Amino acid sequence: MHVWKEIRDREGGKVHSHCFAKRIKSNRISQLELSNQKDIVSPHKGAINSLQIDSTEGRYLLSAASDASVAVFDLQRPAVYQPISKHSSLFLLDKHHRHAHKFSVSSAIWYPIDTGLFVTASYDHHINVWDTNTIQVVVNFKMPGKVHRAAMSNLSTSHMLIAAATEDVQVRLCDIASGAFAHTLLDGVMTVEWSNSSEWVLVTGGCDGAIRFWDIRRAGCFLVLDQSRTQLGRRPPVLKGSMMTKSKALSLQDSSTKSRAAQKKHANGSGSKQLPIGRVPSKGPMKQRLHPGMLSTQDRATAHYGAVTGLKVTEDGMYLLSAGSDSRLRLWDVQSGCDTLVNFETVRLQINKPLQFATTQDATLVFVPCMRSVKAFDMWSGNMKSILRGHYECVNSCWFNQQDQELYTGGNDRQILVWAPARSIADEMDGPAEDQDNWSS
Amino acid sequence: MGTDKGGHGKGTKLVSLIEKATNTTAPEVDPRLLKAIKTVVRYSDSELRFANQTLMDLMKCDHSQVRYLALLIIDELFMRSKLFRTIVVENLDQLLSLSVGFRRNSPLPDPPAVASVLRSKAIEFLEKWNVTFGVHYRQLRLGYDYLKNTLRLQFPNIQANVERVQQERRERERRSKEILLSKYESLKDNSSSIKGGILSTMDEIDECLEILHAKQDSVSDYILDSEELGDFRSLELQQLRLEALKEGEKVYENNDNMVVFDTLRELYKLLITKYLVSIQEWIAVLVRVELVDNSFKDSILKEFIDIRNRMKSVKNKCEEAGCSLLNSSKHEEEDFWEEGNVVSMEMSSSAPDNKNKHLDVASTSHKMNNDNLGLHNKESNGSHTRLLPQGHEVESNLQRSELIAEAPVVRWSSYLDNWGSNRVFMANQRGLELDSHWGRVDDDAVIPADKIAKLNVHAMPYEEKEIEIQPCLAPLRKGGLCQRRDLKVCPFHGPIIPRDDEGWPLNQSSSEDMNMDLRTDLVEQLAKQAVKNVRERDQEVVKKREIDKRTFKRAKLAKIREHNEAVLRDAALASTSGSAILGEDGEVEDKLSARDKKQSLASMLRKKVTPKDRIAQKLLSSWARVTVDRQHMSCEDAKYREAFPNQW
Repeated sequence: MHVWKEIRDREGGKVHSHCFAKRIKSNRISQLELSNQKDIVSPHKGAINSLQIDSTEGRYLLSAASDASVAVFDLQRPAVYQPISKHSSLFLLDKHHRHAHKFSVSSAIWYPIDTGLFVTASYDHHINVWDTNTIQVVVNFKMPGKVHRAAMSNLSTSHMLIAAATEDVQVRLCDIASGAFAHTLLDGVMTVEWSNSSEWVLVTGGCDGAIRFWDIRRAGCFLVLDQSRTQLGRRPPVLKGSMMTKSKALSLQDSSTKSRAAQKKHANGSGSKQLPIGRVPSKGPMKQRLHPGMLSTQDRATAHYGAVTGLKVTEDGMYLLSAGSDSRLRLWDVQSGCDTLVNFETVRLQINKPLQFATTQDATLVFVPCMRSVKAFDMWSGNMKSILRGHYECVNSCWFNQQDQELYTGGNDRQILVWAPARSIADEMDGPAEDQDNWSS
Repeated sequence: MGTDKGGHGKGTKLVSLIEKATNTTAPEVDPRLLKAIKTVVRYSDSELRFANQTLMDLMKCDHSQVRYLALLIIDELFMRSKLFRTIVVENLDQLLSLSVGFRRNSPLPDPPAVASVLRSKAIEFLEKWNVTFGVHYRQLRLGYDYLKNTLRLQFPNIQANVERVQQERRERERRSKEILLSKYESLKDNSSSIKGGILSTMDEIDECLEILHAKQDSVSDYILDSEELGDFRSLELQQLRLEALKEGEKVYENNDNMVVFDTLRELYKLLITKYLVSIQEWIAVLVRVELVDNSFKDSILKEFIDIRNRMKSVKNKCEEAGCSLLNSSKHEEEDFWEEGNVVSMEMSSSAPDNKNKHLDVASTSHKMNNDNLGLHNKESNGSHTRLLPQGHEVESNLQRSELIAEAPVVRWSSYLDNWGSNRVFMANQRGLELDSHWGRVDDDAVIPADKIAKLNVHAMPYEEKEIEIQPCLAPLRKGGLCQRRDLKVCPFHGPIIPRDDEGWPLNQSSSEDMNMDLRTDLVEQLAKQAVKNVRERDQEVVKKREIDKRTFKRAKLAKIREHNEAVLRDAALASTSGSAILGEDGEVEDKLSARDKKQSLASMLRKKVTPKDRIAQKLLSSWARVTVDRQHMSCEDAKYREAFPNQW
């Protein structure tokens, strides 16, 4: 009834179409539950480490597992329709493949522009770039250590860099176009994320608990998040905020104003400044942890006690969510670099593996894997909206499909589960034989 | 949450029911309680939610028995209620971890025996649920898949097993069909030869019979000619005559037709042992075989049935002619045997009474005793009647018989000589000369009658009336009835109750009172009841007193034991002897006896104290260790001193 009324309002022009769509979506998202109609038949024999759906069609799910296998699923055309639609993998790259990884694949990501390429990163020190159609390795990067995570920028127009977080202290930027290491940043990194607001800005979460912001055109990071610097609410008060940013970014003011998170438009402008490809780091990896342009006190700042296990930038690029091995979830205001002091009611987080969490498009909900369950938190209040139970072992990764409002989760129990909005009664009628009470007498 | 709170008020009954159902050591939930739970839960959703909550709480209980019973209830409700399913499925992983115990950090609690049962049952239930409702609940499929493919737990695989059995059966059927078909094919090929063989044999038999009958015909014709039918008026006589004629018609073996008989016998034997059997088999094959084209099958089946019928008639004829399979096999020896048999049979029939008697005597010693007793009774009765005073004889026979029936049975002895007399005995006049007796002899000395009576008091040992003890008669597993004779309770089959020929108890109520009451009237019944009540009350009082006494005694004993222990402890402190351990032992025993008394949930958790434990307790106690050490040390010391006597 509610929906009909809204539709009438929409027809009458009372409600804006965008607003209408948003309402419908949020309504659907609030009803997420374990889908009985959509099964993903997992061919993996190990824990699922990462999940990603391509951003062009929103149709192909890429999964990477710790048994060194990678699989792609078609989410719209199931292999079996009756009685439950089962999606089996389109192809599986396991150890039998000639170029397959030898050890656990820690992350698999689609090339952001189309589904013709995907990138896998593995504990066997390699990053492979695959051609989806021929299932062959196109480019192969050898890294100095285990690769925890690889990331590509969604926005980039001028570079094709894969940022790889390795066990080594360096973040490597691998250039697909040339097949060389474009850049090396200094850090011991657990996880890496590209900014959603600037194609040059990279965020890394280190094993030492530091979250660093890098401008890839420059040596050194320009911002280290400090958990002791906090603000209440979404935005700092105007006066204080402007003062803080001024003081903090004083030295960076001239060269990297474009890297400021909020100033998206400058990205194109800075395209003229070409990337210094193949630049060799001037210092040895362990020589000096002090980054140029940073005060030593600032450089020592930490965002979490213990390692940073997960990072997620909101769709608009204004906020950063981070998870640490201290079982904390923090929401950072990227512009001010302050912790917004939102208290997420997590009980416990998995600490020994990089976590991958998902946010909805309008950044109202964040889905966080908390041990065996996935919890949906309200981003701004930190209240738990719902708890999704279904996995029998720890959940490693989530991916939210913005198109269908479906959540995909993968865990150590080798399963990929689909969480879909509850189906209406009308839909259930054409399902298999009805489920009814069966009392004797 | 709100509904749960609402359920709190209503759910107290439910909670008590569920707790009662799970608080036993029985391996099953009491079906009455289960039914009650179901009826309560059925009528409202809030009750159902509440039941789920209670059961899940019970599943967290640190006792496998409670979890097991709770799981049984959950299964019952799960199979019935949709709402319950949806609620349970939400927390399925928790339920599974509590019932299967697959998480390493939360294994199943004690007792281990029940825990293993719980695990297997939980796995079985999960499989059942998955088969039945898996389509509707992704969680069920997930749980099943996880336990089966990730943890590799062994599922009973009921459905697969059933399928496999069916498959095997189908295979067997198919094979037997193939065999039938091949048989049928072979039959098709050589049916004519089979038929030919049989038919020729039968023809030969017919010919033989014809020859025999041809010989006989002349004789019978003669008989028929010589006598007239008209003479036999009455039906019986006619019957007799016909029989006689038939008997006359029968062909008997003699020297003339011995050859014919021999061949007949041979052929008959062939027919019965070979052809008849084979044709039966072929018919069976034809009936069971399944074909596309039935025309040939039908025709040949018809032929075979005809042949079989003909064979049967031929067989009958042969038997009439006097040959049977047994006779033909070993004719001559059996003749002797039969004669001998006949004689013995006659013997036995001539003297059946004797034998019966003997048998009786041999079989039941009781009866013999009874008989003897009876005889004895008769004797004594006889003596009685002889001794009865004259006056009684005058009275009517009826009265006499009544009296006899009433009279006591007495063993015969000399005292019966002066039964009922009150004569006085002369003491010194018994024909005995008393010579050289110094004293004065009083010839008239008299023993008074009452003294005589006293001297002649008859003593008789009490003989228990022998009753026949009924056999138990309970049906035995190997067949037959139990022949044990016990007074009240058979050690194998329980109390002895009247049973029928097959060993089934006659009246299920089996209360003796009922049996008796059938005859007695209501008043008597009431009186009996009253008496019973009074007795019961008395018994209760007695019991109470006894219990009081016992508790008193126990208290006393406890006091004594305490005192003893205190003394022993003191002694132990004073001198390190084994007395301290003795005290401990007493405590252990106390515990043991307490455990034996009551079987409860807590008692299931308690570990059994094995002899090994007890020995270990003794050996590993600190006192024992210290003494052993000391002993060891002193031994070594002594050895050392002996070895090196000059060093100290």
